[in-house]
Amino acid sequence: MPYLSLLIFIPVITALVALLIPARYTRVFPWLTIGVNIIQVILFVLMLFNFHADGGLQLVEKHAWISLSLNNWGQLQAEYLVAVDGLSFPLVGLSVVIMLIATISSWHILKSRKGYFALLLILNGAIIGSFCALDFLLFYVFFEFMLLPMFFLIGIWGGPKREYASIKFFLYTLLGSIFILIVMIALYLSVQSPENSNEVVHTFNVLHMQNLENFIPGSWLDAASSGSWRLWAFALLFIGFAIKLPAVPFHTWLPDAHVEAPTAISVVLAALLLKIGGYGILRFVYPVFPDGAVYFSDWVAGIGVVSIIYGALNALASKDLKRLIAYSSVSHMGFVLLGIASATTEGIAGAVYQMVSHGIISAMLFLIAGVLYDRTHDRIIENYSGLASQMKHYTAFVLIAFFASLGLPGFSGFIGEVLIFFGAFQSQSLNNLVPMWMPIVATLGLLLGAAYYLWTIQRMFFGPFAVRANFAELNDLTTREYAMLLPLAIMALLFGILPQILLDYINPFAESFPSMWFSLGINANP
Amino acid sequence: MQIHNAMHQPASITSSLAFVIPEIILVVSICITLVLGLFLKQNKSAVLVLVTGVAMLTAICFVAWNWPHQPEPIFAGTLRTDDFAAFFRVLFLSGGLLTLFISLQKESATESVILIQAIVLGACLLAMSMHFATVLVSLELVSLSGYVLASFAFNKSSSEGSMKYFLMGSVATACLVYGVSLIYGITGTLDFSSQQFVDTLIQSQSGLILIAAFFILAAVLFKITAVPFHLWAPDVYQSAPTPVVAFLSVVPKLAGLALFIKIVLAFNLFGQATLDWRVVIAGISILSIVIGNLSALAQTNPKRMLAYSSIAQAGFLLAGVATLDLAGIHATMFYAVVFLLMNLLAFTALHFFEKWKALPTMAHFAGLGRVAFIPASALVIALVALTGLPPTAGFTAKLLVFSSLWSAWADSDLTVLLILFIVGLLNTVIALYFYLKIPYYLFLKETPPGTASIKISFTGNLLVIILVIAIIWLFLNPGLLMGWINRITFVL
Repeated sequence: MPYLSLLIFIPVITALVALLIPARYTRVFPWLTIGVNIIQVILFVLMLFNFHADGGLQLVEKHAWISLSLNNWGQLQAEYLVAVDGLSFPLVGLSVVIMLIATISSWHILKSRKGYFALLLILNGAIIGSFCALDFLLFYVFFEFMLLPMFFLIGIWGGPKREYASIKFFLYTLLGSIFILIVMIALYLSVQSPENSNEVVHTFNVLHMQNLENFIPGSWLDAASSGSWRLWAFALLFIGFAIKLPAVPFHTWLPDAHVEAPTAISVVLAALLLKIGGYGILRFVYPVFPDGAVYFSDWVAGIGVVSIIYGALNALASKDLKRLIAYSSVSHMGFVLLGIASATTEGIAGAVYQMVSHGIISAMLFLIAGVLYDRTHDRIIENYSGLASQMKHYTAFVLIAFFASLGLPGFSGFIGEVLIFFGAFQSQSLNNLVPMWMPIVATLGLLLGAAYYLWTIQRMFFGPFAVRANFAELNDLTTREYAMLLPLAIMALLFGILPQILLDYINPFAESFPSMWFSLGINANP
Repeated sequence: MQIHNAMHQPASITSSLAFVIPEIILVVSICITLVLGLFLKQNKSAVLVLVTGVAMLTAICFVAWNWPHQPEPIFAGTLRTDDFAAFFRVLFLSGGLLTLFISLQKESATESVILIQAIVLGACLLAMSMHFATVLVSLELVSLSGYVLASFAFNKSSSEGSMKYFLMGSVATACLVYGVSLIYGITGTLDFSSQQFVDTLIQSQSGLILIAAFFILAAVLFKITAVPFHLWAPDVYQSAPTPVVAFLSVVPKLAGLALFIKIVLAFNLFGQATLDWRVVIAGISILSIVIGNLSALAQTNPKRMLAYSSIAQAGFLLAGVATLDLAGIHATMFYAVVFLLMNLLAFTALHFFEKWKALPTMAHFAGLGRVAFIPASALVIALVALTGLPPTAGFTAKLLVFSSLWSAWADSDLTVLLILFIVGLLNTVIALYFYLKIPYYLFLKETPPGTASIKISFTGNLLVIILVIAIIWLFLNPGLLMGWINRITFVL
């Protein structure tokens, strides 16, 4: 069964069907969307039985897509090539779950429901497509295809400054994707498919790009002759994905987008869209340009450390709850960069683990902010105190989410960060990519993380009850909110207590990743 | 002189007629329209459109049927039928046909239908021209009809636009004539595909050739609205009726492009020219892209913004030509087709809203996306395609053009091509900012209270839907068009 194609195209086709239904049947659209989400979950469960943890790339679907003659430069070939491995499989699973929760969270949206759910469905397909595509052109198409729905979702259904935020988001991300496009064009024209020997076939196949033997001798990105061009290409591609991640100093779009986006879209943005940045670095930047990865390793790690500290400091200073969570995302994605930079098995496994874990936890955090905002339309931290006395169940989930996010043992965040630190501390002695002082500084980020979360809990939830905002009733969680928060809390705990169930999938990928350097004969010890 | 000789060869003329049947059909159709216009009442314009539409469709079929696989000089070498010309003739005829459908929604005067056909006729002849005399005549047919057409809103600003167009256009024509006379003085021939032309130019290599070439190309670049010959475009675009602008922004521009490719290849002398023309074209292309985009940023009038956008698009059209090799020209031809579709779509959708209410600034689009969903979405898709984002053919076209640029740079190490490559791609971000303004107002702003919903005719929707499907289809399956373009080998 073509699982991946079904996962990608069922939502897209449903979105087109939804457009044909008259807008006055407002009840149909959320049910249609959740139907698609449930089908996707079922498909993913079926995939679990067909996916073998140590089997490398699986569920491959490969069809010819574009084949053009470029006259004297040979043939352009793009394929519809989708597959999953230990890197993308957990992320696809995460996407399926998060999109289901995003739909539930959108239930009370009343403004132009038809458009909202159609865009959400298109976004759904594009996200899963980005995680599965192994053809660079196909990936790029899915990657760009997310922008327009996101622009409208933030711009129409967002908060007061939504228009500014949505345009900023679009322009920043497009700048990143133009960097990616520049490198993509240079890359495919430098690579030839090994499948055709009689003619030069320029392929977009990422697996071919990862093999240095497929570079056309003398082409601009050929390792033997290109000189510094490969480093330039690495830097551009890295910046392209770092904007999406987002890493300091390319992060300024994120707080605005998060604060203004409706809750469900914040959830999708934090839990899934940021992951595409990390995924892109692990799938495209590092494997295609391992020489650049070695050369720039301290830069990558340095950007990671700066993101960790700077994000945490900003979170500490944030007055708006959503802004605090947004900056904590910057901080946590900094750990991903640190893990990737170490290029050790532990570091890579930790980075992937951290991405999945952050996906779960940040979704919870934004839902929590949404719960409060729905009731009072106010997110300023200092306007609340003593909420624990009024909203007991809510406070329980806040505590779970905050402690999970600050990396308390027993929650998934802890496992990811510990693995990343293992990798980063090992790196100096193992491959000399990340200097020892960087992870030492990064531990400061953990401390700051504890500080801003605990301080927030103390200010908002403890002390005498007082709310300086207009609200009708401050009810505790509704059933719908339970249905969203409980599964996420269980997942955060499950992956914290039994990390092996997730690591079994990630490890084969993480183990094969560092060996890439040695198989390519590039000396990692300068 | 060859034309003089041709007068004594009636047999050659009659045998040549068989190759220009599509053009003859157009001439006949112009005459019929002229006569019909006398007898039909003003509100019966649908009949006119139908007649001319059938004529154009027949002409397209004729070109496609007699697809010239070998170049065939006709009319004593003043024109030549080859696959390059045939490709552009199909393009111009389709552009004319689609424009007729846009104006079908409005009472269109007989004269405008005639003028549109005359421009298409001129453009087709231009694509076949191999001789500066025919270039001049067909270019003037296109220009003169264009000047009149631009004034068809019959108000002060429209007359002003038309007058600017006319004055500047006359200077351009004068430049062309002057350049051509210099060339005739140097080479003794007006046939720019002839061996004599190439041989004398290679031998003489005087600075005078460059002056002549610049004069001639200036006139052609005026038609393409490339910087620095673009100044007329914003005024004309803003003041002329929208269907006319849609047409003028596509057919004369692409006719200019076809001519530009031919003439620049002629002056390139198969790479033996003293001047590296790639540098010149790349320079013009960079200027057009940057100035067009930066000027568009400041615009508040939607049509004026689209005028600057079309100046930037001229830069992208020239970017593929800057490689001066077959792959780059093929990429440009692909871009030309996509440009025709997306520009027509943008103006068609814009026309919907304009018929319903005046839109002096983009702020007037506020909230209209909820009132008229189909034209609004079509407009968004057209603008996304113009920006060059997937999943539209605009992306594929840009990908092909920039791929050819990269390859040409990798082959030649000519830095200006790399600069063009990077500047062009980064400009996409600037372009997005102003292209996004219309969707921003359409969907993100609230609908003003009291806005009545628009009644949209079925044919109107049908046209935009066909264009949207074409733009997305060319993205999903570019091989169909590209396979056809790849077989085109005879440019000069």
